[in-house]
Amino acid sequence: MKKLFMLMFISASFMWAGGLKPVDNVLYQEECGSCHFAFQPGLLPSRSWEVMMGKLTDHFGVDASLDAPTMQTLLTYMQQNASEKATGYKRSYKMNRSIGRYETPLKISEVAYFRDKHRAIRPAMVNQKEVRSISNCVACHKDAAAGDFHDTFVPNYGVIDD
Amino acid sequence: MKRVLIILPLCLASLQAGAFSPQVQGYIQELKAEVKKTDPSFSDFSIERGKEVFTSVHVGKKGEKISCTSCHNANLRDKGENVHTAKMIEPLSPSANPARLTKLKDVQKWLRRNFNDVYNNDGTALQRGDVLYYINAN
Repeated sequence: MKKLFMLMFISASFMWAGGLKPVDNVLYQEECGSCHFAFQPGLLPSRSWEVMMGKLTDHFGVDASLDAPTMQTLLTYMQQNASEKATGYKRSYKMNRSIGRYETPLKISEVAYFRDKHRAIRPAMVNQKEVRSISNCVACHKDAAAGDFHDTFVPNYGVIDD
Repeated sequence: MKRVLIILPLCLASLQAGAFSPQVQGYIQELKAEVKKTDPSFSDFSIERGKEVFTSVHVGKKGEKISCTSCHNANLRDKGENVHTAKMIEPLSPSANPARLTKLKDVQKWLRRNFNDVYNNDGTALQRGDVLYYINAN
């Protein structure tokens, strides 16, 4: 029995290539990362990125417009690394699995898997100057850029276990 | 000798402080020509008017009160913070951050976006020239 658990543990640890594929595109990091955390393309499916990039003049109320060639280059990168393509990564797999076939979410924070993982987060934890927005991943996940969202420390609240 | 070779360009560069890059200077000329079309008596952009463009509060694209200083620090030599995302913004002042106002593509991208966000329009040629003079002078 002990051996079986051991075997299960070992096979589970080999299942994933990682939490989330880190951003490996300089243009993407610079363009998207100048205003907010450069969310890994593996967080949303291709169809979401396509819709989002099609209306950058109104990007969640802000003008994030780009010249057409830059937009197209970024969209190609995003679609190549979108959640349904990066299934070897645990978070991409789980995000993708929790999105309905006919849903096209634009907010990462509204995807069921994300919401479930953040169910213990109270508004006061977000609405403080050290965090300010649920989109500010690195405020609590210091290794977010590396695609590791396991370590969680909410400023002024401490470690949150899920 | 080597040291002189290193220091000399630095001195020359510091003499140039306050001047726009050739790319951006070309754009300034375009903006001047644009303003002159409607105001033949126009002579030059103004740092003082640019300050007003930069610091005045408007109802922006989101329907909320906002100014350039909501995200960029009112002291242009200091870092700012995006008011929506809390992301740090490097200083806007070219004297504190030499990369600023060098690439025309970047200058035009941010003028377009930020005028829309703060003024809910593209900004006039006069406003654009004035605010570039203000940023450059700080």
